[in-house]
Amino acid sequence: MSRKLDYPAAEDPVLVKGAQKGDMQAFEELVARHRDKIYARAFSMMRNEEEATDLSQEAWVKAWQRLKQFQGEASFVTWMTRIVINLCLDQLRRQKRLRAESIEQLDEELGGVERQMPIVTPNPTERLERGELRQRIDKALGQLSYEHRTVLILHEFEDLEYKEIAKRMECSIGTVMSRLFYARRKMAVLLAGLKREELR
Amino acid sequence: MINHETEVKLQACLDGELSPGEATTLETLIAGDPDARSLFEELRATRTLLAGNELDLKLPDTREFYWSKIRRQIELEERRTPAGDGPKPVSAPWVRFLTPAGALAALVVLVVIALKNSDASPSELALEDSHEIETPLEETSSFSFRSEAAAMTVVWVDSHRE
Repeated sequence: MSRKLDYPAAEDPVLVKGAQKGDMQAFEELVARHRDKIYARAFSMMRNEEEATDLSQEAWVKAWQRLKQFQGEASFVTWMTRIVINLCLDQLRRQKRLRAESIEQLDEELGGVERQMPIVTPNPTERLERGELRQRIDKALGQLSYEHRTVLILHEFEDLEYKEIAKRMECSIGTVMSRLFYARRKMAVLLAGLKREELR
Repeated sequence: MINHETEVKLQACLDGELSPGEATTLETLIAGDPDARSLFEELRATRTLLAGNELDLKLPDTREFYWSKIRRQIELEERRTPAGDGPKPVSAPWVRFLTPAGALAALVVLVVIALKNSDASPSELALEDSHEIETPLEETSSFSFRSEAAAMTVVWVDSHRE
């Protein structure tokens, strides 16, 4: 007779194996354990609470349906994060198709404003608590276009290489390099601006 | 002024995306060109600032509410595509226990009825020539059929699982 699984104490690979065999309680434990991280990634990309909640839920449903495909090459949470990122990218692409392309947007894509920016060295860490710094970084991220924000998130927070980002964003490596460059430059200015504002 | 190609190459150098030969060329440029060096430093400072400083966010929904929505959606999808790739949910242990228990209960009822009928008159037997009994369990049902004429009882147990 098999021993009952101690779900809260079980490690992810054990829960994943259980879930792959159809154990919903094991899957529920995985959801409870990683739901905040998956939601946070969706929110960082969508900048909308409701959409982030819906997309994170959709990601969990997809994960259940594709559990057999998970072979454990990466950690479960990394695999889950990739699913939610893909769902967010699909959603953003749909939204972009609905939006009319404005001159301003095109200019941003080409780095029009960022090209003229003076070089700055953001270093607000001297005066800010970690929590506050994170808030400010998040606020600055919210001011970027979705293309710039996404490329920055995928590179800085998900540690994806240029090639992998290009594949996921369905663009060339050159575009990824360009977007990342302008995204970083804009972030530098936004964070330096925050510092100046704070010092006033 | 540095051209855009060099700008993104400086960044690629920072991100370790250049070949060793290209990286050496860029390192020489950074060492000898103040503009290139300033830009490289700005990019590096921004990268350092962002690293590990993503905002920790908490899902606004409670664990139970969030999970109930996911579970409902999973069940809905499974009803839509019953032959899907996803794992089939395993019933709770009490349901697995009740499946044979339900069948057993149905058999006991049958035996009792059969014993009662053995004392009944032929006209009563004709009226109650066959019986159908169903268990009230939601996920498990047993269905039995008895024919006095054929002196035969058939019990069908269904757990509604694939």
